Amino acid sequence: MEELDKQGRNLSTTVWTQLDRKAGAISELTIRQLRNRISTWVVLGVGVLLISLLLIFYIDSIREEFEPYDNDGDSEDWDNDGYPLGQERIYGTSDYDEADFPGSREYFYQGDIDYNDQPRNHYGNHTWLSAWGYFTPTWIDTDSSNPFSWYSSEYDWIDWNLEPIICEDTGLSDDPFEEYDWWESLGEKNYCLYENGTYIMFGAIFIGEGDFFVEPGFVTEWGYLTEEFFVEKHPKSMYIDEDDINWDGTKISSSQGFDDDGDCLREDYIDESNPNDDNRNGIYCDVQWTYDLNGNLVSIQADYNVDEDPDDSKHIGESSHRTFVIGTGKIAFVMILGLFLPLFLALGLVRDESENGTLHYLLSKPIHRGEFILYRLLGYLAIVVSYTVILTFLIAFITSIIGPGDSLIRLSDYPVWLGISLSTILVLTAYGSVFNTVGLVLPKYGVYLCILFGIWEFLMGLFTITIPNSSITMLSISHWAIQIIDATVMIAWSDTALIQQQADAFGLETGISFFWHPPVHTLGTGNPFIALIISVVFILIFSVGMILIGQLIFRRKEIM
Amino acid sequence: MNIISEKIIDLDGGKTRMEAAYGSDDGDEDLFAITAKREASIGTIFEQNYRPWDGDFGPRWIRNYAIFRHHVFGLFTSKGHRNYNPFIRLTILVIFIGAISPIAMLFFSSLFGSGPDGFIDKMWGINRSNLWGQVLGYFPRNLCYWPLLTALVVGGMISDDRRNGTSAIYFSRPVTRTDYTMMKYLSVAVVLGFVIIFSYMSYYTLAIVFKGEGWGFLIDTLPMFLAGLLCSIALVITYTSIGLALSSISQSRFFSAIAFLSIIYGTKLVALLIDLQFDTSILYILSPYDCLAHFGQWMLGLELNYSHSLSLSIVSLILMNLVSIFILISRVSSLEVTRE
Amino acid sequence: MSDENKVPSVLVENVSKWYGQVIGINDVSLAIEGGVTGILGPNGAGKSTLFKLLMGRIKPSQGSVKLFGIDPWQDTSPYRRIGYVSESERLYDWMTGQDFVSTLARLHGMTRNEAESRAEHVLEFVGLYDVRHKEIGKYSKGMRQRVKIAHALVHDPDLIILDEPLHGCDPIARTSIMNVIKELGNQGKTVLVSSHILEEIERITEQIVILHNGRLLALGNIYAIRDLLDKHPHRIMITTEEPRKLANAFISEDPVYGVRFPEEGKLEIQTNDLSAAHSVLPRVIVESKVKVSRIDNPDDNLDSLLEYLIGG
Repeated sequence: MEELDKQGRNLSTTVWTQLDRKAGAISELTIRQLRNRISTWVVLGVGVLLISLLLIFYIDSIREEFEPYDNDGDSEDWDNDGYPLGQERIYGTSDYDEADFPGSREYFYQGDIDYNDQPRNHYGNHTWLSAWGYFTPTWIDTDSSNPFSWYSSEYDWIDWNLEPIICEDTGLSDDPFEEYDWWESLGEKNYCLYENGTYIMFGAIFIGEGDFFVEPGFVTEWGYLTEEFFVEKHPKSMYIDEDDINWDGTKISSSQGFDDDGDCLREDYIDESNPNDDNRNGIYCDVQWTYDLNGNLVSIQADYNVDEDPDDSKHIGESSHRTFVIGTGKIAFVMILGLFLPLFLALGLVRDESENGTLHYLLSKPIHRGEFILYRLLGYLAIVVSYTVILTFLIAFITSIIGPGDSLIRLSDYPVWLGISLSTILVLTAYGSVFNTVGLVLPKYGVYLCILFGIWEFLMGLFTITIPNSSITMLSISHWAIQIIDATVMIAWSDTALIQQQADAFGLETGISFFWHPPVHTLGTGNPFIALIISVVFILIFSVGMILIGQLIFRRKEIM
Repeated sequence: MNIISEKIIDLDGGKTRMEAAYGSDDGDEDLFAITAKREASIGTIFEQNYRPWDGDFGPRWIRNYAIFRHHVFGLFTSKGHRNYNPFIRLTILVIFIGAISPIAMLFFSSLFGSGPDGFIDKMWGINRSNLWGQVLGYFPRNLCYWPLLTALVVGGMISDDRRNGTSAIYFSRPVTRTDYTMMKYLSVAVVLGFVIIFSYMSYYTLAIVFKGEGWGFLIDTLPMFLAGLLCSIALVITYTSIGLALSSISQSRFFSAIAFLSIIYGTKLVALLIDLQFDTSILYILSPYDCLAHFGQWMLGLELNYSHSLSLSIVSLILMNLVSIFILISRVSSLEVTRE
Repeated sequence: MSDENKVPSVLVENVSKWYGQVIGINDVSLAIEGGVTGILGPNGAGKSTLFKLLMGRIKPSQGSVKLFGIDPWQDTSPYRRIGYVSESERLYDWMTGQDFVSTLARLHGMTRNEAESRAEHVLEFVGLYDVRHKEIGKYSKGMRQRVKIAHALVHDPDLIILDEPLHGCDPIARTSIMNVIKELGNQGKTVLVSSHILEEIERITEQIVILHNGRLLALGNIYAIRDLLDKHPHRIMITTEEPRKLANAFISEDPVYGVRFPEEGKLEIQTNDLSAAHSVLPRVIVESKVKVSRIDNPDDNLDSLLEYLIGG
């Protein structure tokens, strides 16, 4: 101890404070070293640029308000009859047939003669449909235009303005229905007139009063056409955001929706083939919200055309803000910054020193080699962690102020950004220790191994975002890091699942379903805290393991 | 006690590589060097008679070919050529095999038939999307193969010269900086081309051979093939330009490799992120891969995946190449012939 | 602490180190305590290998290395009392001398202030006080060597190991470094200096260890070794315009047993007793009145010493 005193060292210093000082010295050296390299600044600068770019796009999209978006596409007018799809739906007409529009003449069935029915003739004033046989008219409606849809071809509808064809001139035989080439004989018409005033009809459509004899073995149907009446054409804008989500906020399984725009209920039109109960809960035109016992939303099942076009500015603002936060966290922070910062900064922490020969200065000091690795990593982490924290705080601050919502600052964003920050820091630690260790084991070509590892992580990260349940992705760090973000989102914004379900169920295009999935590793409880803890512990164990391996190798390594 | 031994050393049989490269053969047949050796009892003193070079230089392109050969042949043998680590060679081989894997599928389909509904032919046979995908498909080619390949090849191409001062090997000889840059560029492009373009061409050729297609098929598909070929050339040129520019601004082979990958992946990912969130594909013009893919889709007559105008992608592609080549040229021309 | 002082600072017992087939150090045993010791040997003799073994950089293939009784490969604690100057030329060029030394001082567990003041002190000792705030990248070769020595001295070590500290220095830097080393020896520290130039070591210390091809060739006082050498045939080369006249004068002297004329204008004197020959040399030359332009001792270098030691 006298010796120590003589050498100017303080007697009161303990081992721990000395360790502290060594750690401080090496970390500081590392920081200054990194600070002195241009590439560090370039990489950090590119990171800042990336975040600013995202912010610019975010600010731009926020400033523009959310344009009302026609989620169900019923503002289109496909047949150009002036009535948009939504209006045609309400009236049960087709938007692909300009002859079929609200108020257009409509056909109603009255009767028919089937293949084997007796007697085979019928008298009346009707609209005759695909009539096969002989018609002896008392009156024929020659003025109406074809009221039928595009699917009954124009050949079926008789255009009475043309000169009638005389059957006797056409060379039609006595038994015309047995012939196969009547089509040609009639000059591609489907009727002709006998000189006795009787028409022969080959599947024609026409309106008239008279006696119809149906050829045995054929079918003819008749009914009546309603009169055309005027329906005011709705503007297209009426069918944008016209059917908002009706939800009273109670979190119990219940029937919630209401068909605001009436395109499901259709009061004056009933479509027998469409029972309007697509979710099969026994209630027509509703939305079934199903919750589990804990009040977690399980599913939203809407009947077709119910709550299908919600008010975008009301719903999309919130969910696209969340999409931005989650997407930025997962891709920009974890996958881009998390992967590339360590590649540029951590790889050479010890390797460069031993390559340059400057390692000798450091290792000739009373410092354990294992400690040395740890302190080097600490120095690297000091830079990247403060960088990450500052960057997340900045973006959190800006987006929480200009983000949607009534309050001045969206305080609920901060826990999520904290989770993103945590996840990024863990990833930086894990990758940093991996790259450092690989650099030690294979000083010369380890970097290529690191690149392969990086590509693997990159791929697995992408897969985790899209298919979180796949098991192969569990073999990557990025998977667990993304789990952390998923879990914090679920903790801080517990209604994200609701928003996501709404977006899925009502066709809101926000991307939240792409970027967010409930955390997977909850041990079956669905509790996000468990997923958070599991993921953090996994990454920490991995990092510590990697550092230990690095230390073990470095301790045994002979340094030339 | 002076013993002076004069020896005429005939170098004819033992020309060095560089002399063979830089000397034309005219007048070089009587090459000899005189070295005077003076033996003294204390030791040996070499008196060095410097022999000025008075022969003619070999033609410029023969000299340049030596540089080219040095870099490209190194892939196969490192004796006297640039050393590629066995690990790098192995990776390049794996990438090459991966790139030609559709040929194996076509081979099997020609042996055993094409599976239900012609599945194999649909997946791997010649059609517009497959010709596009053979060069410009994202997974796995532009996600794993090509960027990794470029990073590996480009890594130390110029940065090693900067780090070790080996550029002196070139610049102390009659090699201009333009030639140096050009040959480095060509070397990288040829190595990349060997994997990318060669695999593309063999895919097309062998697909026709294996399936026994006739002249009609050939004539039908040739324009598509040529369009794809043009795309692959554009891809090789773009990746080479960016990679070499990065190699020329750094001293570390790792920096250029990682920087190249981060440019390719980073821009793509950011653009994807913005596209998914804000529904605009404009940022894809920053991504070299997406510009190429956009251009390729148009060339091959596929449906365009991008909503921004094609001309933006093409302009951006040209700009990327110009900027990279400008950086490359200006960095090489300011390269100091010392160990930096 | 008093027990520890009884063990020698450096104890190397039957140490061998081989790299694959190549032998770096072959069965070397050494014990060194106090004063300056020169480790001599041509390039590749195993000097650096020995130092790396001492510093725990590499592990001995056989035998044991102890510094203050502790194996440096297992335990870094002896480094508290050791300063090491490696042969590496690379330094942190972006740091100032003061920064460099104080940062490394802090690795000894000093506080920041302590480290700063110790660094200033030690930089003054090696004569870099005036330039201590300049970046190392701007230092000359000699200054770089001295800053390396400074970092090794900053914690006032008991044992200082210097690997080729004079390598590549100009004569002025060389002298100042030598003075520093001598001063350290005078302070009672154990100093190990390696070199492949006999004269350098000769000017620093009397105590030498000669390594050759990984073997310990000789160990002890340089003059004792020299004396052994002196008793063996030796040559003195004199460059003069009249070698034959001078030869006549020498041939009659006692220590001289032969002369040769290897070249025009040169005279070689062969002797058995180098010091005796040197003592008569000035007298003979003055008496003969022959103009002598230079006198060389071609055998007075490490090579001939080694040649002698191996041959003997």
